Amino acid sequence: MKTNKKFNTGEFLRNNMAWVLLVVCCIIFAFISPNFFSLINIINILNQNAYIIITALGISFIMMAGEVDISVGFAISLNGVIVALLMTKLGIPSFLGVIISIVLGIVIGLVNMLVAYKLKLQLFMATVGTTTIFQGLAFVMTQSKTISDLPVAFKAIGQGYIGPMPIPVLIAIILFIMVSFILNKTYIGRYVFAIGGNVEAARLAGINVFGMKIFIASIAGFMTGVGAIILSARLGSVTANMGTGLEFTIITAVLLGGVSVRGGEGKISGVVAGVLILAILSNGMQLARLDVYYQFVAKGIIMLAAIGFDVFQLNRKKKATIKVPVTEELTK
Amino acid sequence: MGKTLELEHVSKFYPGVVALDDVSFSIEEGQVHALMGENGAGKSTLIKVISGAIKPEMGNIVIEGKHFTSLTPGLSKEMGIGVIYQEFNLVPTMSVVENIFLGEKIGNQIMPNFGEMHRKAQEIFAEFGVAIDTDAMVSELTPGKQQLVEIAKTLTRNVKLIIMDEPSASISVADVQTLFRIIGQLRKKGVTIIYISHRMEEVFEIADAVSIMRDGKYVGTKAMREVSRKDLITMMVGRELNESYPVRPQEAGGCVLEVEHLFGNGDRDISFSLRKGEILGIAGLVGAGRTELAKVIYGAEKLDRGKIKVNGKEIKIRSPHDAIVAGIGYIPEDRKNEGAFLEFPIDWNISIMSLPRLSKGMVVAVKKIDELANQFQKMLGIKTPTIKQYVKNLSGGNQQKVVVAKTLATNSNIIIFDEPTRGIDVGAKQEIYQLMNELIKKGISIIMISSEMEELIGMSDRIIVMHEGTVQGELQKEDFSQNKILEYASGL
Ligand SMILES: Nc1ncnc2c1ncn2[C@@H]1O[C@H](COP(=O)(O)OP(=O)(O)OP(=O)(O)O)[C@@H](O)[C@H]1O
Ligand SMILES: [Mg+2]
Repeated sequence: MKTNKKFNTGEFLRNNMAWVLLVVCCIIFAFISPNFFSLINIINILNQNAYIIITALGISFIMMAGEVDISVGFAISLNGVIVALLMTKLGIPSFLGVIISIVLGIVIGLVNMLVAYKLKLQLFMATVGTTTIFQGLAFVMTQSKTISDLPVAFKAIGQGYIGPMPIPVLIAIILFIMVSFILNKTYIGRYVFAIGGNVEAARLAGINVFGMKIFIASIAGFMTGVGAIILSARLGSVTANMGTGLEFTIITAVLLGGVSVRGGEGKISGVVAGVLILAILSNGMQLARLDVYYQFVAKGIIMLAAIGFDVFQLNRKKKATIKVPVTEELTK
Repeated sequence: MGKTLELEHVSKFYPGVVALDDVSFSIEEGQVHALMGENGAGKSTLIKVISGAIKPEMGNIVIEGKHFTSLTPGLSKEMGIGVIYQEFNLVPTMSVVENIFLGEKIGNQIMPNFGEMHRKAQEIFAEFGVAIDTDAMVSELTPGKQQLVEIAKTLTRNVKLIIMDEPSASISVADVQTLFRIIGQLRKKGVTIIYISHRMEEVFEIADAVSIMRDGKYVGTKAMREVSRKDLITMMVGRELNESYPVRPQEAGGCVLEVEHLFGNGDRDISFSLRKGEILGIAGLVGAGRTELAKVIYGAEKLDRGKIKVNGKEIKIRSPHDAIVAGIGYIPEDRKNEGAFLEFPIDWNISIMSLPRLSKGMVVAVKKIDELANQFQKMLGIKTPTIKQYVKNLSGGNQQKVVVAKTLATNSNIIIFDEPTRGIDVGAKQEIYQLMNELIKKGISIIMISSEMEELIGMSDRIIVMHEGTVQGELQKEDFSQNKILEYASGL
């Protein structure tokens, strides 16, 4: 028997693309800015992007199940606006604000999913509609004004520290562990992949596809709620524009992380790397004093590259000849 | 007569698998040349080498005296080779004519000459003597017609060799006859044909010669008139194989499943019962509503009216999950779309329906899954170096075994097999039959839907025959005959 015991570099790179890219980015910026590798700077970047990481974890679930949600940006805006109004106008206590935000997040997620289900649409199409509604509502409620003076206790969630660790980063770490656990260790996680891999086979395998979609929408909604809390709390004020464009950052990050638009596969740790790559790039461009609109151009290019890479990988896989993990067992 | 194609010492390796092991043989011009061998013997791999889909590690391919170390799809086409793969390669959302001329336009690039394309396509179908609307969307055609579109696709160029990988596996009996007629026509025109099939009768009916492969090696070539069925099997399996339907002591028990006046999914007023330890065959032509019936019983499609009783008690089955809980399992006929998760490993596939049982709390017990998968790999002889292999990398027949294992793993008491031996080799067929008998011995009851009359007659205790969505008749073992079944199946 012919066996191939060599370490397969190509395979490794392909499976860990996002982390490799992240390391490359880090090395480049370490040269540009000597302070880049300081602990403070790293924690800072993590802190600023914790809400994106958290929301992206939720969207990953949706994309692994083979769907796309483009409403997260304004879902976060609407969520932040409603909770901020309740706290500032009605004087609702912070802890209740947190709970309402999470419940609202889940409700919005479920609304998206149910609209798609009832109209028999792809979630993508349904969210094209709902995102416009969320945007409109958010602007109507704020009358395009900024809502400031959020309660101190609420702001602490976004601005406080436990030891050297910013609270948002801590929350992101906890949620990351939770999500990795669900996806990689539990059978619910396998059901998510099964639905993304082949819906009809999943249905005939006795998996409750609708129930799973409700579950996935709830998890994603929960994450959006938490993301909204952290973003409003960190900014200390809320506008209807708060989440604008977030959906594309997140979809790009998730794709960069190796989750496919066709669902059924992908590693959740790659998604974190994906978010950080985008964060570091925009950070770096700020350092280089590039106009913010150049950053849009760059993000767009990266997004196309990420989707292109996704399709490229798929084509490669169709032709792929070597895909078996090379283990001792093979020599038998 | 000359040689259309020669292979010299061709080898192809995958990690842990020698898919082709120093294969040398040749194909005579103008022949229908059958290629046979067990699941995973390397037939499809050989085809892919010839079509240029993959590159061999060693060896030469000789076409009309020209030597190649490897081909590309373009080059292979240019040399006059057309391939119809085991899995169709049509674009379902495009019309027949668009599919036929996919990638090669008549007229110039900017203004393709659609009229000419339609005319040519219609000409091809007229020559076949079949009626296919060239404007129809491919997804609306029956599998048999889709296959004719595949064949037409190869005929737009000057084709010398057409390779068909298990063309009869997914089409109806009548369509197979049309296919054979067309193969005959092509042969008369001097086109060489390589025909892969696991069905012995077919090969004896249309082939001039047969080449056998085993474990990636070329075993030999024989003229069809100088071999017997038994010789062929021995060459394929490497030992003598007793090809018969295993007997089992007949002692069916009480009723485990009763279906009363069932309506739904296009089927009408269906009643039958299944007894414990019995194999109930369901016969019928393609389109008779057999799979439709199975899906209603399994909860995958809606029951409009009627009762389903399990062990005498009426139960409501609203989803496949309900069916599995009630002890009913279904093995789908459409492996690629309904059965297998191609992008996932074997063990993942086998365990997916039984995860709650294989978990502690919500956490999957990887060890238990390994055990289960290894057990089924041995039991069904799934040919693979490791159970971590992705299912898409398995040969067609071995994919089928994974799909069977997935449902068996649920420990159901009633199992519906829908075309269980489609694409499975002679040896594995025997194994599946044995397996059915063992299941019966354990007190499990089986419903077997099959288009292979012989197998139905050989394995069933009772057969019901369907026609246009309803039960046309029932036959007891002593009354089994192909004629009777056909009579009922055609609605007489
Ligand atoms: N891409 C791949 N990666 C790894 N192994 C592969 C790959 N493709 C094929 N193989 C292996 O090569 C062997 C030959 O497969 P092949 O598909 O040629 O069999 P076959 O004779 O066509 O079988 P069947 O009758 O079941 O279709 C099998 O063991 C299969 O698992
Ligand atoms: Mg094959």
